[in-house]
This record gives sequence, structure tokens and C-alpha cells, in this order.
Amino acid sequence: MRWCLALLVCCFLAAVNALSSSGSRLLVVLDESTEKSAYSTLWSDLEGRGYDVSFESPKSDKLSLFQHGERAYDHLLILPPKSKGLGPNLTPKSILEFLNKDGNILLALSGKASTSSAVSSLLLEIDINLSSDRSAVVVDHFNYDTVSAAEKHDVLLLQRPGPLRPDVKAFFDGEGVLALPRVAPQILGSDSALVAPILRAPATAYAYNPKEEMPAAEDIEATGSQLNVVSAMQARNSARFTVLGSVEALEDQWFSASVKAPGGKKTPTVNREFAKQLTAWTFKETGVLKVDKIEHHLATQGEVAAQDLNPKIYRIKNETVFNIEVSEYSYDKWVPFEVPGEDELQLEFTMLSPFHRLTLEPTSRTETSTVYSAQFVTPDQHGIFSFRVNYKRPFFTNIEEKHEVTVRHFAHDEYPRSWAISGGWVWIAGLWSVIGGFLAFVLVWLYSAPAADKVKKTQ
Amino acid sequence: MAQSSSLDVLLKGSSGQSTRGLLRIIILLTIAAAAVASRLFSVIRFESIIHEFDPWFNFRATKYLVQNGFYSFWDWFDDRTWHPLGRVTGGTLYPGLMVTSGVIYHILRFLTIPVDIRNICVLLAPAFSGLTALAMYLLTCEMSTSPSAGLLAAAFMGIAPGYISRSVAGSYDNEAIAIFLLVFTFFLWIKAVKNGSIMWGALTALFYGYMVSAWGGYVFITNLIPLHVFVLLCMGRYSSRVYISYTTWYALGTLGSMQIPFVGFLPIRNSDHMSALGVFGLIQLVAFADFVRGFLPGKQFQKLLTAMVLLTFGLGFGGLVLLSVSGVIAPWSGRFYSLWDTGYAKIHIPIIASVSEHQPTAWPAFFFDLNFLIWLFPAGVFMCFQNLKDEHVFVIIYAVLSSYFAGVMVRLMLTLTPIVCVAAALALSGILDNFMVMTKPNPEAQAKTNAEDSKSLRSTQKPVVGIYSYFSKAVVTGSITVYLLLFVAHCTWVTSNAYSSPSVVLASRMPDGSQFIIDDYREAYYWLRQNTPDNAKIMSWWDYGYQIGGMADRPTLVDNNTWNNTHIATVGKAMSSREEVSYPILRQHDVDYVLVVFGGLLGYSGDDLNKFLWMVRIAEGIWPDEVKERDYFTARGEYRVDDEATPTMRNSLMYKMSYYNYQSLFPAGQAVDRVRGTRVPTESPQLNTLEEAFTSENWIIRIYKVKDLDNFGRDHNNAVAFDKGLKRKRASSKKKGPRVLRTE
Repeated sequence: MRWCLALLVCCFLAAVNALSSSGSRLLVVLDESTEKSAYSTLWSDLEGRGYDVSFESPKSDKLSLFQHGERAYDHLLILPPKSKGLGPNLTPKSILEFLNKDGNILLALSGKASTSSAVSSLLLEIDINLSSDRSAVVVDHFNYDTVSAAEKHDVLLLQRPGPLRPDVKAFFDGEGVLALPRVAPQILGSDSALVAPILRAPATAYAYNPKEEMPAAEDIEATGSQLNVVSAMQARNSARFTVLGSVEALEDQWFSASVKAPGGKKTPTVNREFAKQLTAWTFKETGVLKVDKIEHHLATQGEVAAQDLNPKIYRIKNETVFNIEVSEYSYDKWVPFEVPGEDELQLEFTMLSPFHRLTLEPTSRTETSTVYSAQFVTPDQHGIFSFRVNYKRPFFTNIEEKHEVTVRHFAHDEYPRSWAISGGWVWIAGLWSVIGGFLAFVLVWLYSAPAADKVKKTQ
Repeated sequence: MAQSSSLDVLLKGSSGQSTRGLLRIIILLTIAAAAVASRLFSVIRFESIIHEFDPWFNFRATKYLVQNGFYSFWDWFDDRTWHPLGRVTGGTLYPGLMVTSGVIYHILRFLTIPVDIRNICVLLAPAFSGLTALAMYLLTCEMSTSPSAGLLAAAFMGIAPGYISRSVAGSYDNEAIAIFLLVFTFFLWIKAVKNGSIMWGALTALFYGYMVSAWGGYVFITNLIPLHVFVLLCMGRYSSRVYISYTTWYALGTLGSMQIPFVGFLPIRNSDHMSALGVFGLIQLVAFADFVRGFLPGKQFQKLLTAMVLLTFGLGFGGLVLLSVSGVIAPWSGRFYSLWDTGYAKIHIPIIASVSEHQPTAWPAFFFDLNFLIWLFPAGVFMCFQNLKDEHVFVIIYAVLSSYFAGVMVRLMLTLTPIVCVAAALALSGILDNFMVMTKPNPEAQAKTNAEDSKSLRSTQKPVVGIYSYFSKAVVTGSITVYLLLFVAHCTWVTSNAYSSPSVVLASRMPDGSQFIIDDYREAYYWLRQNTPDNAKIMSWWDYGYQIGGMADRPTLVDNNTWNNTHIATVGKAMSSREEVSYPILRQHDVDYVLVVFGGLLGYSGDDLNKFLWMVRIAEGIWPDEVKERDYFTARGEYRVDDEATPTMRNSLMYKMSYYNYQSLFPAGQAVDRVRGTRVPTESPQLNTLEEAFTSENWIIRIYKVKDLDNFGRDHNNAVAFDKGLKRKRASSKKKGPRVLRTE
């Protein structure tokens, strides 16, 4: 009994410690266990945030992302292997399958060695391109660390990124300088809405293969801020996949290093804070939205009875209220979701195409969520409509809500009665005058019996 | 002698009359029983099941009525058809059929006879066919003094295949009760014209209202009765009887018909109803003229009449043209035009032409459906001319009109059948009355009476003319009996072989003669019912919409109530286009499953590939730039599905869904399509945006699930290629020309 209780308490403790909104089982795939020590600060940070970190070599036979058809881990952190490829258990197919099943992945690349073709083809599937020879590094002659890369200029010094667009919340901002040694650059596909850059190279950077003698000018695929140092892909099921160009930036050595930009002062790096932000976002500690409750009902005065909530059927020209309750997860708790800066949360009332597209205004706030609502009149068109909230922004998980309701026509007894329409009085008067006239005629006819009969009889 | 005298007691005098009455009732009941019995083949062979397509909707509507009550049926908005438009079903159907079965259901429940509503629906048509036979007896008795005519007509009507085709058990369609109402309304009308009685006129209007609530074919009555009156007026047979009965019928009947929401204001706005209104006006004028004639001398009256006729005609015609042009009166409906020009529908309204029952009738069909009645029919019409009373005029007009219409549209054979039965019964009873009389006139007695009358003119003397030899009587009676027996045999054979298949369940024979039931439809529909979410939207060609709604209980995009041509064309476009074009259409309409009918394995010729050209044509009507019928034919103008099929054909969604994985059933290169009798290409078509969900036992129904968008934003081609293990080609920047920069 006591043993049982202890187990229960253990479970509770685990639940309390688990900070990510989607589970705490983290698998780190790294080549040799010897390498493990180089990242010890990172592991202790992660474990401190409640992750069950397990380590596996890509060559290991035991490595399997799935067990009994379900995910065996919630998150995956892949460090670049020394050998070619990720081994037989981490094929691109199984990695995509892991994402399909809502697993999150942080993939680190390194500019030291050329990236394997398996990784490259995996990234190609999600519209992230590596340079064509897969071994380029980003070089910048203006933003480099004069301490460690005075010659090669391949340790980038960058500010942490602000918001990507005015309508997107910044998850990775802050003071301080990041040191990113030997970055393998990524180029994002031009039309994919699922990928987004987390950290872009500065405008003065370019990609360069140190093993080649001369970079051929016509082969250059991208330069400047088209090169990405850290990029992210959020699948349609909100599974996250982050590509970090420089694995070395996670090493203990760079967590505590001091760097000096050309013409600048010597400052300590903020790599550790950035690593926290990056892992927190990738493993769904931040930027997670949740729809708690959706209610729609006819607009009435006062409280709405429970049975009148979320009716399946409305009538045309009904005054309707739609409420949606949204929370955001922030490291260890749910907080009310606030729409960033210039953005709006919108409601569509759609049948084939939207009949209404309305801004949902925040009306009330609970401890963990904000209630957004809109009020509108259903259109003068019957059919099967749906309330849709489709909120997809970079770095936020997707909100895609679709609630079908039927909008019916007027029933036969819902029209105004004829006498209530003043225009109909003419016709009503006509109707009754005919009836009255007919009755009067019949009366007159009946009481004007011909007197001739008597005359005939007398004859 | 004693025997004959005892018979005489029964056959003569007042007790003879009641004997004959009793016999007549027994005969009529037997006829009704025979009519019901001959329609039960399908129930006995298969089961108590609703047939075909439209009856499934009627059945579903009836269930809704029984479950939810009359008012919610009246205001029914159906959100499970025509997704996402929905259908105002309560206002766009003829409720007569459903209300009738609902009333029967509640009466039986009140009498504590709990009968399943399905059985009421299945057996409604046979029950009403018994009533039709009785109504037929009444109608024919109005036409002839011979009692045998009515009985013969009732018997003919009871078993004529032309009527059975729409009224076997399970054929729960509007026609099931409408033919009874048609015949009975005509009986009441004849009665009203004969008697000049307001009561009969009002009864006619009442049953006319019932007819309007039951079937769109009520327009036939709406035009036939005014035509009858018009012809009577033209023949100079105006009488107050006609005036009273027509005005009563028109006023009450029009008001009654306007109570049906689907009809609404059509009787005063639609061109199809204008003849009734025109004749109503005309008969007022004629009545007025008749009234004036009593006060005016002949010559003045003639002038007045001519002037009035010209003036009225001019005003009426001008007004009609003006109102039609300005749009106050709705233009003639497409089905109406196709009645006059059989090629009209094919050019202008493919959706009407695509229905097989709207095709012109083939000649053999007349004999097939009516057997020897069809050659007795002209004789009967001729006999009406001999004895031309008001009611015979009616028969003649009805005969002429309906034989034309039956020639234009297969399904109007149904309206021809009653009048053929009447006319044939008149002819046959004429023959039998003359040939089955055993008594001979005594020539001597006849001569004596003639001699007595010799004072009068010779021409007025009646010669003794007639057929009195027993031999000729026996020959004629015998041959008629043979014809009648052949007729019964033919009717039974036709009913059993042609009209008793539910078409939901197919039956065929194995090589050893045993029966082989093909139940793919129900198999597939029940698969949908049990394996898909309750509101999974199913897309199929409209033929199967009612069945999916009725049997699978899933929302459909289009169904047999073809009210929205554009929506049907959308489905046609999705079926006939490439996957890349179809997929956005499927997504936009929330389609979860696509259902196709494929008969290639079994040789079932009514499959979707054979209907495919109609889909193409209907889609082309709306999107002439995107779908072109020509592209589906080879350069030599052939419709092919084998290796020589055009690329458009082979890339169309319908083709791909039909032949997907079909080749795997056969040894390599041997795949054969048994409907089109050709080899099928050796490689199976590729489907990227759909995945096969279900294929029925004999491959008649194939159901595909529409894939969701790819999780990683790839297009389905690439996703499928990746899953197959093909390496993706890196998009080379050289090929693409100028590089596109990514902006956030």
C-alpha cells in the first residue's frame, strides 16, 4: 500500500516537474557518449526544467522512435553525427512520421563537417535547403569574434532576434550577444508558409566552403539575410522542427565564453539563455495556444441557459454571439492569450466562401485564458455554414476551429401576419368587402321573392 | 327446366339486379386483389425493400414526417443533402405521398395495429393500384351504358404493365398514388359535366388539390380539363352544366393548389397554367354572350359576337405576350419545351436529357407496356365518335394528347395507360355485347311487326340485320378469349421480368441456373453507415444521392432532386478534371469520401463511366473553357478507355477512380473491362489526393477517402513520391530563371 502511494506521489512529482505542454520524454541522439560531456550545462539545464533526458547513439540497435506504434519519446534532439547519415533507425521517413505523431525535433547542424545527404533530403521535404555541397559555413567580415576567429571570420556575433513581423510575438529576443561558430546555413523555400526564420544571418554575411579553393560566383545560392542561422518549421499539426546551424553554440565552452566584435568591447555570450529559449520553443514550452471553450448562441439579454448553448441550427437573420476562450502556455503555466501588436483574431462565417469576417474582441479574462467574442447577424442565405477561426502565425501553434451549424429558412409561422403589414390592408379590405357584398346580395336576393307567383296562381 | 327457372329468379327482376350488383362487387374486389397480387413479385423474390432512387427520398421524408410531426415536416430544412447549400425540402416537394402514408400509419397505430412505416411505404403503391382499378370502373361506366365496359377497364388497369412499371411493391414514388388521383379526378369531372352540379365540381376540385399535392403531373389535368371545355365551346356545346362545373372546379381547385408551398403562386404566374385561366375568362364571356342573346335579335348579336371575340382574343394574346416578355409570367419550363421539340433538351438542358426516362419512347415499348390494348385503343376512340356526348369528347382529347406525349417521353406512358384501358374496354365490350348474346330475334315476328307498320314509310322499317350464327359468335368470342388470356400471360411475364427488380439488389443467374444475388449497393452503403463519421460528406454522381441519404444516412453534395444545375456541374467538373483541379473543389465542399460505380468487372452497364459523358457535358455547360467534351474522344471520335484513351480521359478523376488497382485482379496485361469490352491499360492509374477506402465484393461500388492537406505543406505528388521512397530532386535554380527571394 505504502509502495503504491509512493508511486502515486512519484507520478505527481513527475507531472509537476514536466514543464513542456506536450510531455517530458526527451531523446538526445548523439554520436559518442564521450561527446556528451561537452554539452553538460545544456543537459543539466534541460533536466532542471523537468525533462527526462535519455541518450542514444544513432548506430545503436535499441534506438527506436516508436513503440507499439506510438511515440516512445515526446521530443528529439539530434546532434550531427560524425559518420554519414543518421543510421538505419532515423530515416527521413521515420522522422517525418515522428512529426506526424506530434513529436518535436531540434536538429543541430555543424559547419565543421559536411552534412549527410539523408539530413539534406529530410530538410528538402520540409522546404529547407542546405547549400548545394552541404559543407558551406557562414562567413561575415564585419560581425565576427576577434578572439576565436580572427583569421577565418567564421564565428558570427549576432544580437538576439526581435519579432519577425510586427504581428508576430518575439520568443527569442533579449539583450546580449550570441556567438555562433561555424554555422551551416539554411535557405528557406520561397513559398512555404510553414517555415520561418528564427535567426537570420546579417546582410554582410555569405556562405563559403572552406575546403574549396575559390568560391564560384555563379554557384552562390543565397547571401546576406537570405541565409538562416536558425530556422523553424511548424507542421500543420503544430509539431515543431527547429534547425540550428551551429551545434557548437550549445557547448559549455560557448555558454561561458567572452567574445569581442571588431571594434567592440569584450562581452560574455548569452548562448545559454538563447539555448533555453530555443529548446523551450521547440519542445512546446512557449508559443502554445489552446482553445479552451467555444460557445455560440443567440444574442439574448442576460444569462444563456445551458440547453440553448451551441445550437445545431440557426435561422437566417438571427442575432448570434460567438465566444472563444484561448490560453497560451508560458514555460510552466497557462496564461491568458493576448493577440500581439497589430494582429487580430478573426472569425469567419463561411459557406463555400466567407459571408462574414469579423474581428474577435477580447471581452473578458479568466485566470488562464482570454475570452474573445463577436456578435453578428446571420446572413440572409440558408445553408450549412461553419464558424471558423483560423489563426496561424509563425511560432504560435495553429488554431484551426471549424464548427458546422445549419442556417434554416423562415418557418411558415415566423413571418409577420397579414394584418401586421400595413401594405396588406388594401387587400384585406378588398377581401372582406367582397364577402360582405356577396352576403348582402344573397340576403337581398332571398328577401325579394317575385310577386309574380301570386298573379300566376290567381290566373 | 327447373334449373333455368331458379336461375331466372336470380337473374331477372329486382332480385336479379341485386345479384348482378353483388357479382359486380365481387368481380371488382377480385380485380383489385389481382392488381395487388401481381405487384408483389419483388417482395416475394427479394424482400420488403424500397426500390430504385426517388423512392428512397420519399421513404426518408416519410420517416421524418412520422418522427417529427407535420409542422416540422412542413418547415423542414434538410441539411444532409446538397451540402453545403441545403435544401428547403418542406417547400420543394409534393407532400401528398408522405402525408398519405403518415395518415395510414397513424390510423393503423390508432387501431392498435403496429406496422413498420417501411412496410406501409412498400405496400402503398399496390394498395392504391387496387383503388385505381375501382376508379377506372367508375370512369368507364360514365362512358358506356354497357356494364361490361367498366369491369373490363378495371381489369385492364389492374394488370397493364404500363401502370405496373411505376407501382410495384417498393416503388414508393409519387406516381403510386397520383394515377389513382388522376383517374378519380377525371371521373369526378365527367360526373360534374354530366350533372352540372356544384357538388361534383367541388369534389373534382378537392381531388385535384390532392393530386397537386402528390405529383408534378397535375399540370396534365390543369390543361386537359380546360381543353375539354374549350373544345366543347368550339363545338357549340356550351351549357350551364359546363359553366357551373368548370367555374366551380377552377376557382376551388386553383385555391387548393396554391396551398402547396412548392406550387405557391405558379397557377397565376406560370405559363403552363395559363390555359386554365384563359378558358375561365372565355367561359365567362361565352356565358355573358349567351345571356345577351336572349335579349338581342340575331343579326345584331352576330356582329356583337364577332367584335367581342376579336377584341378578347387580341387583348388576351397581347397581354400574354407582354406579361411573358416583361417576366411577370414565368417562362415555359425546360421540360415543357422538350415536350414539343425532342432535341431541345439535348442541346439546352443536358441535365434533363441525361435522365433515361425523359428519352423518346421506342415503338416496341407501346406493345411491351400495353399488349393488345394498343390496337384496340383506336377502335375504342372511333366508337367514341359514334356516340359523341360531352364525356366522349373528353376521351378523344385525352387520347390524342396523351398518345403524343407518350411518344415524346418514356415516362408519360403512364398517363397514356388509363385512357388506353378506357378505350380498349369500350371497344371490347362493344364486341362482346354483340357476340355473346345467345338470343336470336325471331324473323317471323319481326316481319309481322314490319307488316303492321307497312302503312308508314318503307325506309323507316327496320331490316333484320345482325350476326346470328353460333359459329361466328364462337369464333369471335373464342379469339377474344385467347387474346385476353395472352394479355394476362404477357402482363404477368412483363411484370415478373422487367418491372420487379428493386435495382438496389441485382439478381443474375449462375451458369448452373442458380440465382446469384449482387448486393454491392447495400454492402457499400452500410459500410459508409458503419465506418464513417455521422457527418462525413459523400460526393457521388447525383443518381446515387437519394440512396446514400436513405441507406447510408450521410450528407451528399447532389441528389436526384436536380434543382441546382451549377452544383451538379461542380461535381461533374470535379469528376472529369485532373486531380490538381479536382482537389481544391473537394476541399472547398468539405468532401470526405467520393463514391463511384464501376461495372467493369461484372459487366454492369449502368456505371459511372458510361454516364461520364453527361458529367462532362453538364460541366461544360457551366465551364466551357475548362471542360471540353471533345477532349474525351480520340482523334477519330471514339470514346475509349483502353491504351488509346486520350490524356484528358486518363487523367480524369473518374477514370482513375474506376480503374485504380483494377489491373491487380488479372494476370499482367490481361485486364479486361467487361462493359466496354476492351483491354485496360496494363498499369494502374496513380491517385495522389485520394486513397482507396472501400471496394465492394463485385467492384460495383468503389469509395475513396479524400486525403487531408499534407502535414508539411508539400503537394500530394511529392508526398506520395516520398512515401514510395523516391528521392526528391533538388529544385535547380538554373532552371527556374531568376531566383525568388523569401520575404517575411
